[in-house]
Amino acid sequence: MTSEPVLRPSAEQQYAGELAALAAVDDRPRPPSWRLSPQAVVRYVLGGTLSDGTEIVPKYVGDRRIVEVAVATLATDRALLLVGVPGTAKSWLSEHLAAAISGDSTLIVQGTAGTSEESVRYGWNYARLIAEGPSEAALVPGPVLRAMRTGAVARVEELTRMPAEVQDSLITVLSEKALPVPELNLHVQAVPGFTVIGTANDRDRGVNQMSSALARRFNTVVLPPPASEDDEVEIVSTRAAQLGRALELPAAPPALDEVRRVVRVFRELRNGSTVDGRTQLKKPSGSLSTAEAISVVTSGMSLAAHFGDGNIGADELAAGLLGAVVKDRVSDTAAWQEYLEAVVKERPEWRDLYRACHDLDTSGYA
Amino acid sequence: MPALPERVSLLGIRHHGPGSARMVLAALETLRPELVLVEGPPEADGLVEHVGELVPPVALLMHDEAEPSTAAFWPFARFSPEWQAMCWAHHNGVPLRFADLPAAATLGAEDEPDPVSVDPLGVLAEAAGFDDPERWWEDVVEHSGAGDPLALATAVTEAMTALREEFEDHVGPRTLRREAQMRQVIRQGLKEVTGPIAVVCGAWHAPALRELPTVSADNALLRGLPRKKVSGTWVPWSHGRLAAAGGYGAGIAAPGWYAHLWERAEAGDAVPRWFARACQVLRAEDLPASTASAVEAVRLADALAALRGRPSPGLAEVSEAALAVLCGGEDTPLRLVHQQLVIGEELGEVGAGVPRSPLAADLERLQRRLRLPASATERQLRLDLRKDTDRERSKLLRRLRVLDVQWGEPDSTRGLGTFAEAWRVRWDPSMAVAVAAAARHGTTVAAATELVLHQRAGSVEKVAKAADVLWYAVGCELPAAVTAARRALDRCAAAATDAVELLSALPSLAGTVRYGSVRGTDPELLRLALHGLLARGAVGLPLACRGVDDETAEHLVTALDAAQEAAGLAADEEHKSLWRNALLKLVGLDEAHGLPAGRATRLLWEAGDLDTDRVAARLHRAVSTAGGATMFVTGFLRGSAALLAADPRLFDLIDGWLTGLSAEAFADAVPLLRKAVSDFSAAERRTLGERVATGGGGISAGDGAWDEPRAQRLSAHVRGLLEGAGR
Ligand SMILES: Nc1ncnc2c1ncn2[C@@H]1O[C@H](COP(=O)(O)OP(=O)(O)O)[C@@H](O)[C@H]1O
Ligand SMILES: [Mg+2]
Repeated sequence: MTSEPVLRPSAEQQYAGELAALAAVDDRPRPPSWRLSPQAVVRYVLGGTLSDGTEIVPKYVGDRRIVEVAVATLATDRALLLVGVPGTAKSWLSEHLAAAISGDSTLIVQGTAGTSEESVRYGWNYARLIAEGPSEAALVPGPVLRAMRTGAVARVEELTRMPAEVQDSLITVLSEKALPVPELNLHVQAVPGFTVIGTANDRDRGVNQMSSALARRFNTVVLPPPASEDDEVEIVSTRAAQLGRALELPAAPPALDEVRRVVRVFRELRNGSTVDGRTQLKKPSGSLSTAEAISVVTSGMSLAAHFGDGNIGADELAAGLLGAVVKDRVSDTAAWQEYLEAVVKERPEWRDLYRACHDLDTSGYA
Repeated sequence: MPALPERVSLLGIRHHGPGSARMVLAALETLRPELVLVEGPPEADGLVEHVGELVPPVALLMHDEAEPSTAAFWPFARFSPEWQAMCWAHHNGVPLRFADLPAAATLGAEDEPDPVSVDPLGVLAEAAGFDDPERWWEDVVEHSGAGDPLALATAVTEAMTALREEFEDHVGPRTLRREAQMRQVIRQGLKEVTGPIAVVCGAWHAPALRELPTVSADNALLRGLPRKKVSGTWVPWSHGRLAAAGGYGAGIAAPGWYAHLWERAEAGDAVPRWFARACQVLRAEDLPASTASAVEAVRLADALAALRGRPSPGLAEVSEAALAVLCGGEDTPLRLVHQQLVIGEELGEVGAGVPRSPLAADLERLQRRLRLPASATERQLRLDLRKDTDRERSKLLRRLRVLDVQWGEPDSTRGLGTFAEAWRVRWDPSMAVAVAAAARHGTTVAAATELVLHQRAGSVEKVAKAADVLWYAVGCELPAAVTAARRALDRCAAAATDAVELLSALPSLAGTVRYGSVRGTDPELLRLALHGLLARGAVGLPLACRGVDDETAEHLVTALDAAQEAAGLAADEEHKSLWRNALLKLVGLDEAHGLPAGRATRLLWEAGDLDTDRVAARLHRAVSTAGGATMFVTGFLRGSAALLAADPRLFDLIDGWLTGLSAEAFADAVPLLRKAVSDFSAAERRTLGERVATGGGGISAGDGAWDEPRAQRLSAHVRGLLEGAGR
């Protein structure tokens, strides 16, 4: 492995130190092929302080029971399906679970309408195939096949966006824990520890709905959107601070008040009403997820670091907010304008934000 | 203070705690006492002998004989330690007595129990970081108790002693009195038997029983308690009631789960069987739940328990596993499992040998004969009144409603015609109180109902109330009560001076007339009563509309509508015309309040008794009387949007009238008009709005004296009004 810096290191690279420290103090039994015990995996995800003083940063902020059910599922070598609206940390949790369990979060299939069966299972090196005929050397294993051979966790992202027949090709893999390669008269059997974490978007339900035969192969865990404003503020400020550090931003960690303001804007627009329930609002078309709130804050931090005094304020947030809210030029602009005039303007302590958004509006969209 | 003699063992328990029940049972087996004392009302001592005839959940129902609706329940589930103690004593032929304040002293007393005393072991569990006290008991208490139930009981008492010291000031006078009484019963027991005695009481009380102060000290505490004659019986109870926190509930979060644990403890298959049952619940609702999934659910629950360092899966683990494996992460199917399994819908049984009031016995007999068992799950019932059994069922449900036993709820949402009825029936065990309370009225359901209706008929003063009694009496098919109610109706009608009162009673009576024949009452007799009321009301009507305020006028309008409908439904030709004449008279009366007058005009016009020209004339006359005009129009318009939109002449009439109002009069009219229009449905208002928008048709400009700007302003205003209301 090279030590060249990369733009986005994988979880096992970024948290290599934490994982090593956890493994060192971990005295609980580990399921076959697991790098850590289930308890240590839960600790890795939720954070805490180890007996040797190592700080483990929290990755997922939320109900401990959700993480426990997810880890226990994988410990019984069942497949895990994480379901939720966009931005509820499905991919994020899936990556960290794979990193902690297998030390490798990169065995990943990205589900799209164009995902083919080959990318799930295996393909061929055609030059070799033609030159030497079918042989194991000509076989190009896909992520799932590689995970089966090493007893690792394979990740399938956006499962329900894949065509139904590609989804169904997972059924044999999950029920038989084996993959036939008829061309080579081969039957690849999974090494213990192999399992799959799928993620699926709630909003996609019914589009490419999973067949019940496949659904039955998964234990399903729903990742809920943050229940309260306080929870969401905690997620956004923790994650933004972590990201700021990772990006080596010289900016100060975001002021809690600014985070709270972003979260309030997001929640109010998402719910279509102000927190006091008095004002009905148009809902913008985007999902306005927690993930987007985090990115509004981090991009604000980077603006503050590079162009401002290092402290994040209304001016740094305005552009990010506009970008997150206005996905559809026409309808979302109307929703945003309405929100600015009816809500932001009316809050005395939000005057700066109103001015910042207003300036941006007239300059950017003139 | 002298210590409690060694031969008395204190078994401090958590009420309805299966862990405590196991401890009690094991302790009794070890101790083999000669007398068992259990926390409970001493008046129920005589009922203990029936334990063998009961299937839990059941409850002791104790009530004040003089005032039977003053009652209280002591519920027991199969897993309640008190119940297990009763069963043990029963099977081993050992006498058992209750130790607590008499129900006579506590019935109807409002004072709350001390908060900590309700679930002190729960407090300890919470302090130890457990959300489920039973889980704490299993994981911590039992695992450390190492199988010696008496050592366990001692440890509980010691823990409680410490807790009580900490919460010293939480112990109220009522708790102290209860404990004095418990000690009195222990003293009595010590005199009666020479062998071991076991005391099963709430853990909170155990420390207070470790020492016996002087008899006189306890007597002093108990002096002056209220005395009452109390009687009691066993009644079936339900898991749902055990789970309910308020009212007569016991506030147990998961009675179904506890019962399951208790049942399966010996077989050791609690978790797999739980998921098998969950699958059955889901399949019964056509949700996919295969045996393979049940296997995976067991594995997940086990893995979760292991991950959490628990010896075996508890309710949290099985629920989370059910959600992830069986319910696809969705709440709705999990709620089904919760409702049917975690809480459970079990209803207990009380054997035939248990004494009950003659009324309760009659009710059970009827339930059996009519194949209408008391069930805790709601059931839809559709009755065909031409069939004997169905008619009897309807009669029974109606009679019980008179007795305030609300077992059946008539489902009026579905119109089924004269011969069919829809009911929703659901037995709630606390209805036993109403049954007990009704027992004083008679020995059978029929007799008790008849007496109650007689009493009501004797005491009613208002015509409408008398009509209600008549409605019930006819529905219950009790001829003597029907006669009494008819007499009450005559009496009230004769005394009534108010036309509104007389007329308002008509709809209920009209309904009674219509259904009377189905119910075996001669409809002609009922029609006679209706005619009497109608005639009296008709005579008084015009006068009643004179010189009244707006509020009374509103009541009059309601009464007019009601009477109109009732007359149409049930009166003969002669009385219909009587009524018509009263309305005509009202319309002709200049001093009548505009609202009822306008209303009467519309009723007559709709029935074709007034033609449009006469209505027009009447409206113009109203206009000339200035102030009353708006009222008249409001009364006229109410509920007649369709006519207004459909009849151009009527429309023009109103339109013309509005345009002709002075600016001030128009401003006054707006709020009232808005009120009239706001009665209309959205669709009606839209139609009307469109009608106005298209110009209203034939407004004639008169003889050229047309104030164009003013007309514009007015019609814009009207349009705005109608459109605004149409939103
Ligand atoms: N509960 C949470 N705890 C921690 N981070 C969260 C949480 N919810 C959202 N996030 C953040 O949101 C970002 C994107 O989430 P992602 O996994 O891509 O969402 P999804 O796959 O559900 O659409 C991640 O950076 C993650 O840190
Ligand atoms: Mg994702």
